Amino acid sequence: MPFVARARSVWRSWRHGRRLDAELDDELRAYIDLRVARRIAAGEPADAARRAELVAIGSVESIKTGVREVRMGRLLDETVRDVRQAWRGFLRSPSFSLTVLATLAIGVAANTAIFSVAYALLVQPLPFRDPDRLVFVWADQTTEGYPRAPLSGPELRDLDERATAFDGFAAIWATTTSLTGENEPEQLRIGLVTSDYFSLLGAEPLLGRTFRREDETSGPPATILLSAAVWQRRYGSDPGLVGRRIDVNGRPTIVIGVMPVGFRLMMPPDAAVPDDLEAWQLFNQRFTEGPRGQRYLRVVGRMRAEVPVSLAIDDVARVGREISAAHAFYGSAGRQFETVPLHVDAVRNVRLPLLVLSAGVATLLLIACLNVGSLFVARSAARASESAVRVAMGATAGRLLRQHLVEALVVAGAGTTLGVLLGDWGLSLLVRATPESLSRLRAATVNLPVVFVTAGTAIVWMSVLAVLPAALAARQAAASALADDRRYTGGRLRYRLRRALTVAQIALSVVLVVAAFLLVRTVQRVQQIDAGFHAAGILSFRLALPDGRYPTRDHFHAFSRQLQGALASVNGVSAAASISHAPYDHVPNWGGPYLIQEGEDRSRAPQADYRAVSPGAMELLGVRLIEGRWFTEDDDTRHQPVVIVDDRLARRAWPGASAVGRAVAVDPAVTGTPSTWATVVGVVAHVRHRSPVEEIREQVYFSARQAARNPSVYLVRSAADPSSLVGPVRDAIRALDPRLPIYDVRPLQIYVDEARALRAFTATLVGMFAAAALVLAAIGVYGVVAYSVTERRREFGVRVALGASSARVLRLVAGEGGWMVVRGLALGAAGAAIGAYWLRAQLVGVDPWDPITLVTTLVVLLSVSLLACAAPALRALRTDPSEVLREG
Amino acid sequence: MAAPLELVKGTLGLLILRTLELEPRHGVAIADRIEQITRGTFRVKAGSLFPALHRLEQDGAIVGEWILADGRRMKTYRLTAAGRRQLAAGTREWGRVVEAMRLVLEGE
Repeated sequence: MPFVARARSVWRSWRHGRRLDAELDDELRAYIDLRVARRIAAGEPADAARRAELVAIGSVESIKTGVREVRMGRLLDETVRDVRQAWRGFLRSPSFSLTVLATLAIGVAANTAIFSVAYALLVQPLPFRDPDRLVFVWADQTTEGYPRAPLSGPELRDLDERATAFDGFAAIWATTTSLTGENEPEQLRIGLVTSDYFSLLGAEPLLGRTFRREDETSGPPATILLSAAVWQRRYGSDPGLVGRRIDVNGRPTIVIGVMPVGFRLMMPPDAAVPDDLEAWQLFNQRFTEGPRGQRYLRVVGRMRAEVPVSLAIDDVARVGREISAAHAFYGSAGRQFETVPLHVDAVRNVRLPLLVLSAGVATLLLIACLNVGSLFVARSAARASESAVRVAMGATAGRLLRQHLVEALVVAGAGTTLGVLLGDWGLSLLVRATPESLSRLRAATVNLPVVFVTAGTAIVWMSVLAVLPAALAARQAAASALADDRRYTGGRLRYRLRRALTVAQIALSVVLVVAAFLLVRTVQRVQQIDAGFHAAGILSFRLALPDGRYPTRDHFHAFSRQLQGALASVNGVSAAASISHAPYDHVPNWGGPYLIQEGEDRSRAPQADYRAVSPGAMELLGVRLIEGRWFTEDDDTRHQPVVIVDDRLARRAWPGASAVGRAVAVDPAVTGTPSTWATVVGVVAHVRHRSPVEEIREQVYFSARQAARNPSVYLVRSAADPSSLVGPVRDAIRALDPRLPIYDVRPLQIYVDEARALRAFTATLVGMFAAAALVLAAIGVYGVVAYSVTERRREFGVRVALGASSARVLRLVAGEGGWMVVRGLALGAAGAAIGAYWLRAQLVGVDPWDPITLVTTLVVLLSVSLLACAAPALRALRTDPSEVLREG
Repeated sequence: MAAPLELVKGTLGLLILRTLELEPRHGVAIADRIEQITRGTFRVKAGSLFPALHRLEQDGAIVGEWILADGRRMKTYRLTAAGRRQLAAGTREWGRVVEAMRLVLEGE
């Protein structure tokens, strides 16, 4: 019976099975009715006849059960037999089984791990109430190089008062504070929030409560909400902590609650609000009155129920236009707000790398399934005579088909189970290796939807690929297989199928390998980019001076100077300095507009990043001075304000002329009005301190003795391993002030590594997938070529007997492999071109259609394929003509 | 007429096949026919008849169709080629069993 018709009948009988119950009812009813009718015809009264008949027949339900048991029992019997047979078959050929199992397990494991991550980040809803209704509101300052800028206090108030599509807006700003009192002093990363922040998100505390309007104060905050981490670490999970007073920034503060373990804000990385804040406090009651230009608030809005996002976007944009018109402050440029759904934005940065990884593993799984399918085809060839015998003995084609399916399911089941276990383990490794920028990934666990999708994919593929050869077997007349040599029973057809599967494998491998090469080259390029500073050999730590004990700027500067001196004289330290921000750290950016002429339109002024550096800091970092001089200890509050600018700013402000000695108006207090006029004393090469890849904004460097930031980062350079300095450095600080908390003690290089980590991470994983794909493709090529050489032994024997040269035989074998390889490579190159185009946003300094990459890939795959052909080719060469000819 | 006997295990299927050899029949007719041929020795109850019918149908020995019989729609079974083979093989087998039993029980 042709396969299609057979399949149709299998389908019919399955549906038939579902109908059977109803049909059985009809059948029994007809049976009883007929018998009753006969009794009536024989003269019995109708109701008595029916009663008698029902008594005679006994329980209708038990009859139905009997029939059902027959039906189920048969199916179960055969299935159990199939499973047992499949199992025995696999035990008989352990190498086949192990290959299949390992191949599948690798494919499924990679998929389970990566898809779990993708699920956790892209699909799983955010842990807030009705997260669909939450949006971020940014200020769009693209023209000034700041597309996603924060808002100011008055702007938050404007939104609250004027927007109509929202239930409300809340805001957060990340800063630090110190915990003192009972234990070691400790610096905390905290979020200052509006009192409705947690209620707006719909986040519930673990203990106590979140903030209320009554908690707002006109002075420093009187309450604090702790994270579970601090509560556990510092207070030993004390359940009685809520309601107690602790010392925060030198002031007694009431603990109102503790947030649950794993509570995360899910703010995007460029919001400068770290995911792992340790505590929250309230803004000052009057913060919305603060300068309109002081922009630091990250704003979240909750749309009213049933309000579409488009309407909310328009609503916020309208507020932007209204306040631009209402306040002369905004000048001619005005103020634009941008609204994005929280969920979309929270994954903005990781979406593409994740999709790349997901596509990579999905391809790998497909390759694995193709490989296993190809193995099954080979196996079905080896078992052609067995099948033929079974058909002759009365097994129907459907029965054979089912046996193949059961075999496939058994192996797919075992492979996917192993794969899921392996994937769970792999995920834990992955989570441990996760860079900071993907920190949300750490919440990922293997979950049911992922397992269903992955295992389902593997099982469906396996079923199709296992049944295909069986269907081919069914097409071949059973008789011919018995009568004839098995070489002629569907051999060519199977062979063609295997070749097709292998071609597909090679093609997919090309795509993966090209992607891996492109990503690895990107990582190399990124590493080669000159960041404008050197991090090697530098130890960094952060230090915050409590306002209480260092009340004035003079106290502050005096201490900084003293500490810098003390650090420099630590044994092994060659230089020490301080800077306001570490490169690529999570401290909120500091910056603002600058003017080069009195009376310029402030609203259209270009923006610059600000950094405060102590004398010696830039030299220590290896920044290149282009013109002018470095800061000295004399650039302090007793002297005129001075700045150093980067070459980009100098070029834009004074093209073709020297910048040294020029005046520039800046805004170190971030009031929105650049009114501090400073003299440029030096020009340095641009420092990539916020992105290792892009030059984000122009830069203005202040002397730390004139415009300091608290906390600041201290840097010490040493010829020795920087981490060996930790102890002596701590001692030096303790000698000056034993109650100072220092934190984030780490080599500066770590910041740099973390900034590159996401790219390196993606590249490493895709590289691993590509390597796995290469191995699988090689196995595929080897299998097909080896099989064909075995098939053609007679032909080779005859050729050798007739005097064919070794080269000629080799050419024949190579031709066998070459056919597949050439087609696979051609298809793969086309696929890679498409894939690379899709990948281009992930590439830096590498052309998506980089010819070197493509050629390298093709050469690698060609070599691997040829290697895979080598063993069978040698076997063909060693064919002993007399032996083969005798066999025939 | 002697009292009805228990069916020998595994023989009901063969009996059903035999009743269908000449013409398709529905369940009632099959039971009637068995009772009639065995002169009441075997009386087939619905509780054994229907499971047996469905087992045979699943084996492909018989096929059930809904047709009009005795003035009503009845599920009527007919023998397939496979059923015919099974009947022939079963009959041969049974002959050997009977012969063997006879040899044991009637031999000296």
